[in-house]
Amino acid sequence: MTQITKDRKRSVEALKRLLPAEDIFTFDFAAEGGLLFTCVYSDAVTDKTVLGDQIVRPLQGYRGEARAEEIARRVDFPELRLEVSLEKLAGEVLSGNPAVLFDGMDRALIAGTKAVFVRAVAEPSTDVAVRGPREGFIEDIKINSSLVRRRLKTGELRIDMMQIGRRSQTAVALCYLAGTTPQQTVDEVRKKLGEIDIDIVADSSYLTHFLSSRPFSLVKQVGTTEKPDIFCAKIAEGRVGILVDGTPIALTVPYLLVEDFQSSEDYFVPAYRATFTRVLRLLALLVAVYLPAFYIAGQLFKLRLFPVKLLLTIAGSIRDIPFSPSLEMLLVLLVLEVLNEASIRMPKYVGMALSVVGALVLGETAVSAGFVSTPAIIIIAFSGIGLYAVPNLIEQTSVLRLAMLLVAGSVGTYGIILSTAFVLLYLVTAENFGVPLLAPFSPVVKNDFKDSLLKYNLGSLKRRPVTLESPNKRRQK
Amino acid sequence: MISRRQLLFLLAFLFPVSKLVMLPAALAEHAEGDLLLPAALHLLLQTGAVFCALLLAKRGQSFSELLENAFGRVFSRILLVLYALFLLFAGLLPILEQKLFVQAIFYDTLPSVAAFAPFFLFLAYVVSKPLPSYGRVWDILAPLSVAAYLGLIALAVGETDFGALLPVGASGSQGFFGGTMSASGWFYDAALLLPLLKKYEYKKGLAWKGALSYLGGGCAVLFFLAVFYGVYQGTAANRLFAIATVAQYFSGITMLGRVDYLFVFALSLTLAFLAAFPLQGAAECLLQAFGRKKYLPTVYGVVGSALFAVLAIVLDYRFGEVLLALAKVFWVFPLFSVAVPACTLLFRRRHA
Repeated sequence: MTQITKDRKRSVEALKRLLPAEDIFTFDFAAEGGLLFTCVYSDAVTDKTVLGDQIVRPLQGYRGEARAEEIARRVDFPELRLEVSLEKLAGEVLSGNPAVLFDGMDRALIAGTKAVFVRAVAEPSTDVAVRGPREGFIEDIKINSSLVRRRLKTGELRIDMMQIGRRSQTAVALCYLAGTTPQQTVDEVRKKLGEIDIDIVADSSYLTHFLSSRPFSLVKQVGTTEKPDIFCAKIAEGRVGILVDGTPIALTVPYLLVEDFQSSEDYFVPAYRATFTRVLRLLALLVAVYLPAFYIAGQLFKLRLFPVKLLLTIAGSIRDIPFSPSLEMLLVLLVLEVLNEASIRMPKYVGMALSVVGALVLGETAVSAGFVSTPAIIIIAFSGIGLYAVPNLIEQTSVLRLAMLLVAGSVGTYGIILSTAFVLLYLVTAENFGVPLLAPFSPVVKNDFKDSLLKYNLGSLKRRPVTLESPNKRRQK
Repeated sequence: MISRRQLLFLLAFLFPVSKLVMLPAALAEHAEGDLLLPAALHLLLQTGAVFCALLLAKRGQSFSELLENAFGRVFSRILLVLYALFLLFAGLLPILEQKLFVQAIFYDTLPSVAAFAPFFLFLAYVVSKPLPSYGRVWDILAPLSVAAYLGLIALAVGETDFGALLPVGASGSQGFFGGTMSASGWFYDAALLLPLLKKYEYKKGLAWKGALSYLGGGCAVLFFLAVFYGVYQGTAANRLFAIATVAQYFSGITMLGRVDYLFVFALSLTLAFLAAFPLQGAAECLLQAFGRKKYLPTVYGVVGSALFAVLAIVLDYRFGEVLLALAKVFWVFPLFSVAVPACTLLFRRRHA
């Protein structure tokens, strides 16, 4: 650590050596009392109006001697502190907080006048709610923290800041409720985050790799949300939340698979409706993964799976199709995945045209031309829709669907059952932060059934999830 | 650790599933309408054995420690190896049964041997996982099996003539003993509990609860046998795969297709895990006998699976002969599953 010296010019030169970039500016000015100052700031990320009005102007009127505390009092700015290390000073300047060095003092002022260029808080497009709050996180960690703080007005809410990324020095906030979140979990998360040594953290998803106990697993191990209400509810249950500067996607750990079958809206509608929709989501997911596979297995290996009339319809449709059932299904699936990928990335004004091309030209014409059969398109379309009933698991389930399809095409129904057994055994052994992924179903935790796939009335949810082992077990009387 | 609930789930809801595939036809062949009697005898014997096996857990020792205390170090190792060999021998029946079941039910035409090959990969994978993780699987499989069982019964019971089971004792002692001997290969559940010792904690009343759970599951098996025989009566012995055929006369099948297959598939998932259980038990015995190393469960799993794969290929069309052979050595099953737990309970701390 290099210390700031009393010689202002030498300190500025040393700082410039640390920050040789051309967008790091310095300017000198003198106070009325004759004291000389140098302000070092980053052009792009410093709010120069605030710097001029709130920092430089008051300092120009200063008539006293070179005493740091006195100078700081003169400035009277809330985000002001003194720093002795040149490296830390450089880090602050890069973050947008200018440094003010002055003669005769081995400390420098750091003013929190970072320019904040952010979009407005808006409803996240990935998690739209008909009822309930519509705020979503944005890319600024301070605003995101304020959204959390506004919902959890308690001294127990801790927001511990840290910086991750050798080059990006990305701000990361660890949010938890002291006394509610198990300290062991907090320590483990902090340890795992502290051990990350990576160049940049472009998004919170970079951290999930390091927070997972099985980093190369297909299975998701860290919860994600864009909504502050969900984030706060999870923290209040005893989880640790992680906000990352530059991304609206917040992380929560420990993660349970059942979380992704729940939506924030479930808590704002009657309990029976919430239960119904959760079960529906699970069924939709199962249909999405298994329907194409069973269709193929039935066609190739066990025709008696179909009722007779349906079998005749299918037989009529596939009679002139040149491809094998599995190849046909794979082709349709491939087209769906491509259309899906293109429609996400494509500019909105072309999106409509793409829908027309996808639905009419590709679908209708392919059937008319006899390339694919109508049942195949119906099944893949239904499967595609089912997949989006649980949007947070799309990456995993689409791969699983493809795997099931390949297995069904080569081994048949028994292959699907064995693959399910493999997946089941893998899932039951998966744990992260000591919490089983499939809880409360495996292991069975009776108390936690109340808010799993089932949803009891709010009045019945008196205890926090037992699975999370919160030291503060009761959440309401 | 396996929880008490998981153990009870295994006894009440999962063990019975293994008796629903080929056992009903095997019993019907020998005992006809009296098929419930040999099954009931086996179930009562196993209930007692399960009680003894669970009571052993009270001592807080593993199977090898118990044997060592009772019979000394060298003899305990020999017994453990013998036990592992027994479990491998006993594990052959569910695997062959499953292979035939899969070939007949999951395919319209006889598939190649390769179609069943992934099962042996699964077998090796299961054995490589620690036993307590198996307990978590039971949490998922138990409700699934119960739902599937109830679904099948609901579809079949309307076509059942329970009067076909009367008069009791019509097949005579020959039918009873023939049925008892031929069914032995399906009843060794208590033996599977011994390698689990020290993997779960004994709490007050566990032995009773376990025995009652097993008996409850046994009653479900008896009811299934009654329904099966009530549906097929004199031709029951020809319906080799009971779960796949018991509900096939459900009147809605013409309209809906084979909806009963949904339940059959769910039970097949349970059967896949149950078929792996003896090999896992054998691997655990060997681990206790020769020490634990991280790679050993995988090695035992791979070797055991390969062995079973070879046997499954060799005995591909000889299931009838296997059943006959099993009936000849029917005493092996009660010896290991009833006598061993009972004796271990009696020979307490002889060499301690």
